[in-house]
Amino acid sequence: MKKVSLIFFKNDCMGCHACEIACKQEHGFGVGPRLVRVIERAPDFIPIYCHHCTKAPCKAACPTKAISRNEQGIVLIDEELCIGCKECMEACPFGAMQFDDDRDVAVKCDLCVERLENNEEPACSKACATRCIFWGDTKQLSEKIVAARSKSANPTLDREVTGIEIA
Amino acid sequence: MGDITKVRTVCRSCHGGCGVIAHVKDGKVIKVEGDPESPISHGTLCSKCLAITQLAYHPDRITYPMKKGNNGWERISWDEALDTVIGKFKEVIKEYGPESIVIGQGTGRDYESHLYRFANLLGTPNVLTAGHMCYVSRVAATLITCGNLPICDYPADPKCIVMWACNPQWTNPDEYKGEGFWRAYKRGSKLIVIDPRKGFLAKKADLWLQLRPGTDGALAFGFLHVIIEEGLYDETFVRNYIHGWEEFKKRVQEYPLERVEGITWVKKELIRNAAKIYATVKPACINWGVPTEQTLNCTDCTRLLTGLMAVTGNLDVPGGNAFFVPPPVRPVSQFSRHKDLSPEQWKKRLGGEQYKLAARVALITPKVAWDAILTGKPYPLKAGLLCGTNPVITRANAREAYEALKKINFLAVIDFFLTPTAELADVFLPAGTWLEQNHVADNWKRHGYALARQKVVEIGECWQDHKIFLELGKRMGQEWWDTVEDALDYLLEPSGLTWEQFKEKGFLKGEQVYHKYMDKGFSTPTGKVELYSTVLEKWGHDPLPKYREVPEGPVSKPELFKEYPYILNAGLRTPTFFHSANRMIPWLREIRPDPIVEIHPKTAAKHGIEDGDWVTIESPRGHVKERAKLTDSIDPRVVVAEHGWWFPEVKDPGHGWDTANINILTDNSHESMDPVMGATNLRVLLCKLSPCVEDQEELR
Repeated sequence: MKKVSLIFFKNDCMGCHACEIACKQEHGFGVGPRLVRVIERAPDFIPIYCHHCTKAPCKAACPTKAISRNEQGIVLIDEELCIGCKECMEACPFGAMQFDDDRDVAVKCDLCVERLENNEEPACSKACATRCIFWGDTKQLSEKIVAARSKSANPTLDREVTGIEIA
Repeated sequence: MGDITKVRTVCRSCHGGCGVIAHVKDGKVIKVEGDPESPISHGTLCSKCLAITQLAYHPDRITYPMKKGNNGWERISWDEALDTVIGKFKEVIKEYGPESIVIGQGTGRDYESHLYRFANLLGTPNVLTAGHMCYVSRVAATLITCGNLPICDYPADPKCIVMWACNPQWTNPDEYKGEGFWRAYKRGSKLIVIDPRKGFLAKKADLWLQLRPGTDGALAFGFLHVIIEEGLYDETFVRNYIHGWEEFKKRVQEYPLERVEGITWVKKELIRNAAKIYATVKPACINWGVPTEQTLNCTDCTRLLTGLMAVTGNLDVPGGNAFFVPPPVRPVSQFSRHKDLSPEQWKKRLGGEQYKLAARVALITPKVAWDAILTGKPYPLKAGLLCGTNPVITRANAREAYEALKKINFLAVIDFFLTPTAELADVFLPAGTWLEQNHVADNWKRHGYALARQKVVEIGECWQDHKIFLELGKRMGQEWWDTVEDALDYLLEPSGLTWEQFKEKGFLKGEQVYHKYMDKGFSTPTGKVELYSTVLEKWGHDPLPKYREVPEGPVSKPELFKEYPYILNAGLRTPTFFHSANRMIPWLREIRPDPIVEIHPKTAAKHGIEDGDWVTIESPRGHVKERAKLTDSIDPRVVVAEHGWWFPEVKDPGHGWDTANINILTDNSHESMDPVMGATNLRVLLCKLSPCVEDQEELR
């Protein structure tokens, strides 16, 4: 099975926070857990989100094996197995692991796995008005990002980096 | 448990327009998603729209009519509420005349057609909106200059975009959605950004001009000076379609780049470079924002920017600033029955003699309303109906607005929540959100579209605003329709569609034609672009635009500047809030819990202010506190503060309206306003700073 990934092209994040609210709505979270979060350091905006790491530190840190990586490469948490110890939160280098105080369990981005099953794009990516959230086949995405990084240093080529389907 | 049904509709969490698919389960909206087929938003949405379920089903939302009795607010029936309002209005009309009733709204929310129809048929010329300093002021100034409001033609690929005092990606104002701009940018357009702050777009721009707040008009003169000096204007257009070119050129000569640099703080080489790019890379468009309007230079600044579009040949061309052809739907002006306001009543418009341009577009500046209430001059306002507006937060000199609305004899409000303004009312009429209404949306905008906003659910006893005006109108004996949908059929009649058919279709677009002036000229008295305005001349004003210093600034008031040593750039927008709205929405407030004042680190250090500290900001009119965010993206001489703040979580009826409300500091004196429009200066004033004396931890 092909691996899927999600990546924000930071250079094009304009700090609207729509991804955050789309995620909260999709996952039914109230105030508290922010599975994606945009830090404002205007003129830069820094999205904090789960990278679904190949060697996921959260998974390695979990004492109850509540965190696993499925065959698509999506790192998931089984809330039934979670004991609420927060080891995964400390282990995550991105600050992407969150804690749901209402249910006393760690929560994380599931890459909208249910939406993917229905051929729908992740909620955050769908809302994004600059289309700076790329998702899909990991291999193709890696190539796109490498290209994007080299172009983003050049303001003219920067325009070519986009998730928008330009006719 | 029922199945999920999906309903296609259109957002209005700001001015609206983005396409939405609402998911409904068991009669409740459980989720909204972007509509990929929307020609406006192409499936994307902003945080405000995505949070609509938290607004619509908010525990504090008022979902039934109320009146204020001896024991505070009490629930009443719609019949009693409407009869109370109409009974009071009839009394006032009998004793004082209909002009003693003020009808008001806030920012454009797609019901001006109905609000104005009610006001005009009532016979009051006193309609209070945000239009004196936001959008309508721009429409008005372009009406007398080139006959219509020119809009950036993003779909037709501008090759150069001048983002003049606007951040459409956060604010999605009026015709513009950030998404449309971004598509054009990504197709390779050059980008020139004019902004006192280094925001996301300044980072992306080919050129960023960091001007002194409030000097946009002078900067426009600088652009024009270069364009004329270097012969970069469109000679054919200028020869055939500009009225007063020689006089205008002479006026521009008064603004050489050295002078413009001195006024604006922008290096003259940078101005020259930007002007040359704008004038030579074609097509080019200017996307202007409200800061160009919210000073005493409102009308002249709009006229100068229109002048730039005209002399460079970018007016009504593909990819320039176009006049979009509207779809075949009855315009708001016709539905509003402006012609039915008698000349006798028209003449009674408060401030109408002084602010003639505002009168031309059928509105009053708030100052004249507050004066009429507080002083009874030239005649008293005795009753009011305010819809979707919170003037004690959003209008200049908030304390005066508060005193006036507290004093007015009778006030009814239409809103979702008991805002600080609503708390001053006698009757509360609960409005439906955009999920609860049928309407031909976006019909007032000049982007060529009409959109079907269809009702998804009904919540409590809330009525869509349009129905409230319709029912009030009928009780006044005015000519209305039986139902909201009947009125929509009337609006849609020229298209040959009924509301039911339009709803299925989703939207209508006008068939775009460019260069219309070649056949018809411009819709002005001379048929040309009037850079020399025959209208302003007739009214006894300078027919040529000029730049004036704001009355309260380092140049106009050097003595005061010693005591208040910073330029306060008020009215900073955020992506999660829309003016005074949304502070009670948990998802949005989590992102932005506190009002923010941006201060340069060097400035902050002088006063011992650290990042995150609560800071007292003081102007000659009062003081408020906001939390410091230190940033070197602004000039150290400038302080930038958010607007629109009140605190729904504060349960007393004031709801903290004067704690962080930046309009406590702003001025609404007549000399601070635009002389023909009455635009208030919400943007540029003098202030001083100090850390809050209270314990910082406690404030946190």
